Amino acid sequence: MPASNSQKTSSRASEFGNGILDELPLQIGVFPFGLVFGIAGLAAGLTPLQVCALSFILFGGASQIVFAQMVGAAAPFAVLTGSVAAINLRHLLYGVAIVNYLRHLPISWRIVLGYLLTDEAWAISMRRFRSQPASPVMHYHLLGAGVTLWVCWQVSTLAGVLLGATIPEELQLGFAVPLTFIALIVPALKKRAEILAALSAGLAALLLQDLPFNLWLIASALIGIGVGMGAGQFDKPRADR
Amino acid sequence: MIWAAIFLSGLATFLMRFLPLSLLAGWQMPPVWRRALHFVPASILAAIIAPAVLMPEGSLMLTDNLRLPAAILAAAIALRTGSVVATLLSGLGFIWLLGLL
Repeated sequence: MPASNSQKTSSRASEFGNGILDELPLQIGVFPFGLVFGIAGLAAGLTPLQVCALSFILFGGASQIVFAQMVGAAAPFAVLTGSVAAINLRHLLYGVAIVNYLRHLPISWRIVLGYLLTDEAWAISMRRFRSQPASPVMHYHLLGAGVTLWVCWQVSTLAGVLLGATIPEELQLGFAVPLTFIALIVPALKKRAEILAALSAGLAALLLQDLPFNLWLIASALIGIGVGMGAGQFDKPRADR
Repeated sequence: MIWAAIFLSGLATFLMRFLPLSLLAGWQMPPVWRRALHFVPASILAAIIAPAVLMPEGSLMLTDNLRLPAAILAAAIALRTGSVVATLLSGLGFIWLLGLL
């Protein structure tokens, strides 16, 4: 291992600190989302303890909202858990994409980083892994990003439970969620194939809303990936020239 | 029953996050997978964004929907500045300002 090399490009502390700093701006979107979930969970009939337990155990914003909606609609157990699992299937893709950078880690690290692997932490750390020089301690970046989001999510859920209905609906706090993703994805859409992938996935998501078990999300993502790969085939000769 | 669902959903979600990190660690990814994974962020995030902007109440709303112009403004700001803070504040600011009028 070149870890003790004198040409060390980054330290654990600097990676961890950069992970926190890179993740912090996104909390402007995460905090309102946590508030919204806290409020929606209580409104659906969950107890305050169940709402906080969901944020701690499930730790996945979109799927927690779906969980609350399903409880509110008195959905059967299989539909409830199946819907949550379908919404979270995308994490398989996240893991496949990021494992390349984490393969040297012991299992304890994989458990911790797996638990902390959310949309926003993954997106921010993938950007660092792909665009900056590799380092044997760069997993600390994902740890910093993941812990930052985790703390913000727990605190904002609790705040939502405590403040509850005192937050006016007109604030449209739920809109912070798509805005966060717009901030992450729009600057990254550069090639024609990437733009086509995003457009087709978005269109599919509108058309497939009625698929059972909330399978629309993973189905739309797969359609976007397929279109992107197809378009990339045609893009390539031109891009090389 | 709720508690069982919380624990089961949590376990399923954890396994989907953890298993690729664990089972695939020794796996050399074929190039076609690499190409596919390149499109994962754009596809998933777009699939979350589109219904949240265009179907705020569960069905398609192309008019009388403040989220649509707010999202377009936010996307333009994101493209121009690349700043997460500016994007979030412009989108939320737009919807609050026009919501109050």
